[in-house]
This record gives sequence, C-alpha cells and structure tokens, in this order.
Amino acid sequence: MKILMIGIKKETKMGREAILKSVKENKPELLPLPEIDTSAFQEDIDLVKTFKNNLVLVGGQIFEISTDGIDSKIMEHYPDKSSIVSTTTKSNLGNVIINKDTNPHTLEHIDLAIIEGELGVSENGAIWITASNSLVRALPFITNDLVIILEKRNICLHMLEAYDSISKRDRDFGVFISGPSKTADIEQCLVVGAHGAMSLTVLLV
Amino acid sequence: MSHATKATEFNKDESKVNWHDKALWYVREKRDKSAHNVEGWEYLRQLGSEIKANVLSNLDEYLVQFESNAQKNGIHVHWASNAKEHNTIINSILEKHKAKKVVKSKSMLTEECHLNPFLEAKGIEVVDTDLGERIVQLAEEPPSHIVLPAIHKTKEDVDVLFQKHLGTKPSKGNPEYLVGEARKHLRDKFLNADVAITGVNFAVADTGGVVVCTNEGNADMGVHLAKAHIACMGIEKVIPKEKHLGVFLRLLARSATGQPITTYSSHFNKAEDGKEMHIVIVDNGRTEQLSREDFRASLHCIRCGACMNTCPIYRRSGGHSYDYTIPGPIGSILSPGKDLKKYSSLPFASTLCGSCSNVCPVKINIHEQLYKWRQIIVKEEKQPIVKTSILKTAGLVLSKPKLYKMAGKSARFALKYAPRFMIYNKLNAWGKARDLPEIKNENFDDWYKKRNKNG
Repeated sequence: MKILMIGIKKETKMGREAILKSVKENKPELLPLPEIDTSAFQEDIDLVKTFKNNLVLVGGQIFEISTDGIDSKIMEHYPDKSSIVSTTTKSNLGNVIINKDTNPHTLEHIDLAIIEGELGVSENGAIWITASNSLVRALPFITNDLVIILEKRNICLHMLEAYDSISKRDRDFGVFISGPSKTADIEQCLVVGAHGAMSLTVLLV
Repeated sequence: MSHATKATEFNKDESKVNWHDKALWYVREKRDKSAHNVEGWEYLRQLGSEIKANVLSNLDEYLVQFESNAQKNGIHVHWASNAKEHNTIINSILEKHKAKKVVKSKSMLTEECHLNPFLEAKGIEVVDTDLGERIVQLAEEPPSHIVLPAIHKTKEDVDVLFQKHLGTKPSKGNPEYLVGEARKHLRDKFLNADVAITGVNFAVADTGGVVVCTNEGNADMGVHLAKAHIACMGIEKVIPKEKHLGVFLRLLARSATGQPITTYSSHFNKAEDGKEMHIVIVDNGRTEQLSREDFRASLHCIRCGACMNTCPIYRRSGGHSYDYTIPGPIGSILSPGKDLKKYSSLPFASTLCGSCSNVCPVKINIHEQLYKWRQIIVKEEKQPIVKTSILKTAGLVLSKPKLYKMAGKSARFALKYAPRFMIYNKLNAWGKARDLPEIKNENFDDWYKKRNKNG
C-alpha cells in the first residue's frame, strides 16, 4: 500500500515537472504585459439609467424606491411566496432562518431569497454578490425567485472599475449576477429560468 | 472521412442547413451590435491579445504562481500531461469521496479527454448539466458548437429525446415546456450528486482563483450542493492578474452570444467550509502547440465561438463535419497540431475570407494560420489526384501570359457552346448545385484596353 502511494505521488510530480519543463523549452521570448489605459473606456453617461436599461435587457426587473418601501414592493411583486429567506436587515419578510452552516440541500423549496448586492456594473447590469451576502453560497441559485437590494451609489461604469472596487475583498466565493438564469439551447429560443433563479428583481435604494 | 464528405451529409436536409446558417448569422449580428455599444472595443481586443501573448511568453511562471496561491487557499492542485493522466486523477478524487454520481458543467477539456466514457466504464453516473450538453449527451452525440452544443438539433428532435429519456409528454417542441422539464430532471441530479466537475474560463495567477461563466447557473448549482468541486483547465487558461478579468469578461459574452456578460460569472477562490476543491491543470498537446511559432497564437483562444458563428463554411456544414472537439475555424488550426493526417482536410474547410480573424476577441490570425497549415499539409500529406493535377495545370497556365489568354478564350468558348455534361461534372466543384455565370464576349483585359482608349 505504502509503495503504491509513493508511486502515485511520483507520477503526479512527473506531470508537473514535465509540463513546466516543456513550457520553458517551448515558450517564446518574454513579451511585455500591457498597461491598461482606462481613459479609452471613459464615457460621460448616466450610470443609474444605463444600469437600469441593461438590467431589463438581460431579463431582470428593476425599481428605484426608498428603503422603507422595500417590503411592500416585494409583497406587491411576489404576493404568494411561502418560504422566504432574507439575509439582509433591510427586509423583514424572511420566515426561514439560515446561517452559514445551513445545509444547502435544505434550501430546495425556498420560494424567494432577498439578499443585498455589493456593487452594480452599469455596462452590463451585473451585481456582485459574495458568500457573506448570501450566507450559504447556493442560496441565490437554488431559490425559485431572487430579490437583490442595491444602493444606487454603488454602481460603477464598467468591469475594470468593478474589479478595482472589489480588489481588497476577502476572497472565498463571489459572483456577478446579471439577470435571471436563462438558456437558448433549444433552437435558439430564449427561455428564462434554467437551473438558477426563475426571476430577478432589483430594488435600487 | 474528410470535412467535405461529412458536410455533404449535413447538407442533405436543405431546410435544416438554411436554418442553421441563419440562426448562427443572427448570433453574429447580435455580437456586432453588442460590440459596437462598447467604447474602446478595438482597444479592448488589442489588450486581450497582448495579455494572452504575455501569458504564453511567461506561462511557466504564471502557472507556478497560480498553483502556490491556490494552495494557500487550501485548494488541491494536480497536473496532467495528457488525457489519460487527467482522467486517472479525477477518478482517484472520486474514489476518495466514494462518489458514484457526478454532475458536470460545460467543459470542452473534459470532452477533449473523453472523461465521460472513462468514468462511465467505472460505474460512475456522469450527467452533463448545461441544457445543450444534456441534449447531446442523451442523443449520444458530441457537441456541434462550443457555446451552443445542440445547435444542430431541432426543437422536435429535443421533444422526441425528452419523451424517451425524461418521460415528457409530446409538446410539438414547446421550448418553455421542455426547459421546465429539464429543470426538474436536473434539479434532482444536482441535489443527489456527490461531486461536481466544472471547466475553467479563467484562472488567475495573482489570486489562485478560477472563474466559471454560465447562463443557466448549472456550474453553481452543481458546485454549491456537492461535497467536492473539481475544476479542469488547460494550461493556457491562466491570466496574470484579477484585474485582467475586467478585460476578458467584457469581451467573452459579447463575442459569444451578444450578451453584455453571462448571467453568472462565478469566482471560486476557496472551498466552502467542510468541502474540498481540486484543480487539474492539463497539457495534452498544448506545450507542443506552444513550440510552433506560426500556430502558437491559437492558444490565445477564450472559447467564445465567434469564429464559428461568422464562418460561411461552418454555418453551412455544421459542427459535426469537423469531427474534432473544437469545430469551426479555431478547431481547424488547433486540430492539425494534434493529428496532421486525421485532420488534414480541416484547414481547407475555409474560404480564407478572414471574417474569423476580424471577430476574434483576442485577435488570433485564424485565416493566416489556416493558410499556413495548408502549406504544411500539401507537402506532408497526399492530396487527391484531381486537386493536384488541376493545381499543377493552373500553376503552369498562370505563369505564362499567352497560355493564360488562350485558356481564358477557350474556357469562355466552352462555357458558351459545350454540352452541359462537359461543364458540370466531377472535375468542376464550382458547378455543383449551381450554374456558372453567363459568359460575355469580352474579357477583363479587352474591356480595360478599350476603356483606356476611350479615355
């Protein structure tokens, strides 16, 4: 048994060394890594308006409201949801309590999840969500419908700016979500609601 | 079997070919619209190309940096020189977890390594969870496009497949009904899977994390529910810094489907508490391609499929006619490096119009590489006798102006007066399924001289 283990270890090491050796032998002379001149991407546009347009384009709905109107807006749009998880203090509609140790399989029948987004990107309607926003990583995917609350002042122009803003984060898991899940794999017909959330509503506050 | 032979097969159903052609052109048009919306798009492509060129020139350093940063975050990193090692490593991880059920999200690399049949032979259930991939898996076919795997299937085909395998009701190919049923079917698979396997769109050297892009959310459904996540990547997937994702994510979805970004761009840097994450870094012929100066840039590819959507040959011949994991123009410059003999017809499956190079988000000179492979292939591989003799004659005629003039005259004469069977036969590929243009008495040379005289 011991011999076998050593054998396996040796083999994986061979793969690594062989690959790196082959790369070294075959790579071209060093070419420079370009500096990114972000002024080439500068646009004088209304960030909130562009964000809203793009969010609709990718299949989401969006409302600009005040913080005290959050729950009534959610109830208006999702009137008959029974299992609701809220991971934000901005909504009191949650009736299923979860924490970071919750088994994700138990979220199978969650009808609605309400979470906060960290950052919006105006060029594509994407919203940055981290594991600390959703507590359980599976939540924004396994829920039937998803509500994301986003502060207007946290909308940036494009992805390069977005990566600047999140560069100092604690890296475990994070995702840009742009709209509800979708597929066009059957004859190119767009169908919203593949494996992830069937709908996405963004509340801008 | 040559590309042309397989393309003939695909072309038997004319209405299907026409649909295929138009559907992909529509995706190409969406790409254009989306790209034109971006301030500085051409500069963005330039950056994409230069970053990738830098990556290849420093690939070993970036891979080592990536490995050590990933390990700092508790990720297990494995290296595989070829498909067999790749499959064996994955199997050993599955054995460790006593895994019997695996869900997979789209990964062209695992297709390339034929992972599914390898695992299935060991009694492991492997379910492809991207809807298009699931469709072709049920049909026991390979994907015909890297972004739209089931683009060759009609909705009626899918209806019949789902009736057989998922027990759905006949729906005349109602896409909403079929997607809904697939959602239920695959939810069950996600909830019961032991291990999730994904591909990698980008691996970031300075953080040790990987990014996976999907529209359906299937990668995340798989990974966040399973005990362990195995991410498989080719060595060329590494990029230097996280901020470079800002360049590539802006390019990828716009080039692929015309979306401004995929629905989900998931950043995996660490396993969730109590779970495990593995990354398998694979060579499988890539370092060999790296050694070929003329073809090295093919490793820039970010697998968007834009070259397929725009290619007049791909659109009218279908992905299966290429008989390679990656079809279309990019596949035609990657495959001869793998097996020159087997794929010798692919670099000829092109009009060399250059449209592929024009849309490529990382500016791979695809059509120039196609031309270069042709030069190698005619030297090393035996060509069909009709092609060689015609080309030999053409070479002779074109090098002698007098002969060329005479040939032109007799060709014009023949096209006007010769009986049909002499013009439209096996020797004349241009006369297949179409009539040659009507012949005028004047040729270009005569017309030009007359025009000059008349001032």
